[in-house]
Amino acid sequence: MPDGGGLLGPSGPLAARSPVWPLLLGLAALAAATAGPWPGLILALAAGFVLWWASRRSAGALRRAREESCELSEQLIQSQKMAALGELAAGIAHEINNPLGIITQEAELLGLALEPVEAAQRDGSPLAAAFLAELRDGIGEIMRQVNRCSDITHKMLNFARKVAPVCQPSDVNRLVEDMVALVEREATKQDTRIVRMYGELPRVTTDPPLLRQVVLNLLNNAMQALERGGMIFVTTRAAEDGQIAIEVRDTGPGIPAAHLDKIFNPFFTTKAPGMGTGLGLAISQRIVVGLGGTLTAQSLPDAGAAFVIRLPATCGGEGERRHGAADQGTGH
Amino acid sequence: MTSLRFLVVDDEERFRGNLVKLLTAKGMQAEGAADAEQAFAALRREARDVILLDVRMPGMDGVAALPGLKALAPEADVIVLTGHASVDDAAELLARGASEYLVKPCTVDEILDTVAVVRDRRGAGRL
Repeated sequence: MPDGGGLLGPSGPLAARSPVWPLLLGLAALAAATAGPWPGLILALAAGFVLWWASRRSAGALRRAREESCELSEQLIQSQKMAALGELAAGIAHEINNPLGIITQEAELLGLALEPVEAAQRDGSPLAAAFLAELRDGIGEIMRQVNRCSDITHKMLNFARKVAPVCQPSDVNRLVEDMVALVEREATKQDTRIVRMYGELPRVTTDPPLLRQVVLNLLNNAMQALERGGMIFVTTRAAEDGQIAIEVRDTGPGIPAAHLDKIFNPFFTTKAPGMGTGLGLAISQRIVVGLGGTLTAQSLPDAGAAFVIRLPATCGGEGERRHGAADQGTGH
Repeated sequence: MTSLRFLVVDDEERFRGNLVKLLTAKGMQAEGAADAEQAFAALRREARDVILLDVRMPGMDGVAALPGLKALAPEADVIVLTGHASVDDAAELLARGASEYLVKPCTVDEILDTVAVVRDRRGAGRL
């Protein structure tokens, strides 16, 4: 019964794990050779059934293994996120304690200011005006510092939030132009010229609101680097492997070499106290990586700084798209 | 109560100004410095009893500035004021010559109490 072997041919690596089929194959061949075709056929059919059943089980095991592996990488990402959050918590303690220090001082100064006024009021002396001025100034400062704290915590929450991209075919040049137009009025006010160098781009699949946030952040950073005057070059171009690149280059002082590897760290900032939280680039990089791309910085002495976003033709790869679609379905 | 000479080294203008005001209100002499360079210049100009030092500053940070400050004012007590509550930093600062370490926010009375303890500890005279 030569066909028995063909029927029983193992078709997957997991089927080979079954210890039953070689035995049945052997028995089928033996039966065919010694007892005629019928017992061989029956044995062959039985072996086929066992194999079919084993491969079904194996496929299930394979699927479960794949799911477990997905769960493991999800756990790994989660643990990395937790580590990043720990880093954030430390940064937050630092950032919040400084404004809280000032709030404490303001309250102390108000208390001190209150003392002579209380005494003066007891004597009927008109010192209340001076006290009120100090009180108003102090209260104003308390409010400004409290706003500063909430700004930090809001950005921190934004960082900690799980952002799953919702990807769709996008016209990246249009998206970049929208953001350039948005900051151009402010740029004109500070005598900064924005030069557009948009290339022809293939249509890519990405998450427009997230990408807008990143482009806007890079444009704002460039404006802050320039303070007054200077130029910002916004370039878009098609890159290798169907990728696209968006570059924001400024003619500012550039980034010192010692800072280049730190600028994407949460809370790293060279801005004056209260002027930046140091989260903008950390959030931007996280978004771009989530979209399956990269965000890099370059700086040459006296040639300003350049930030380059590289995005793949398809956002975040197969898994990310499914993830995005699932989140979209739940109204995320 | 002896009037001590304080130097407040902190890049945050409002914090520095407020602390100078509060120390003055408590009968102390106080001056501010916005960074390590300004602090070095102030110490070359005039001796101080206490230096209140921030850790995170643009340019040279507090940890890096400490040896220079101690060299210019060996008699002064350096008390570090910072928003960072890290024990490793504290050990490093004390190893580099700081007398004490306070985490912001802290009141002017807490600062003065700490100064009293530190000066008492090395017999420099009570407040």
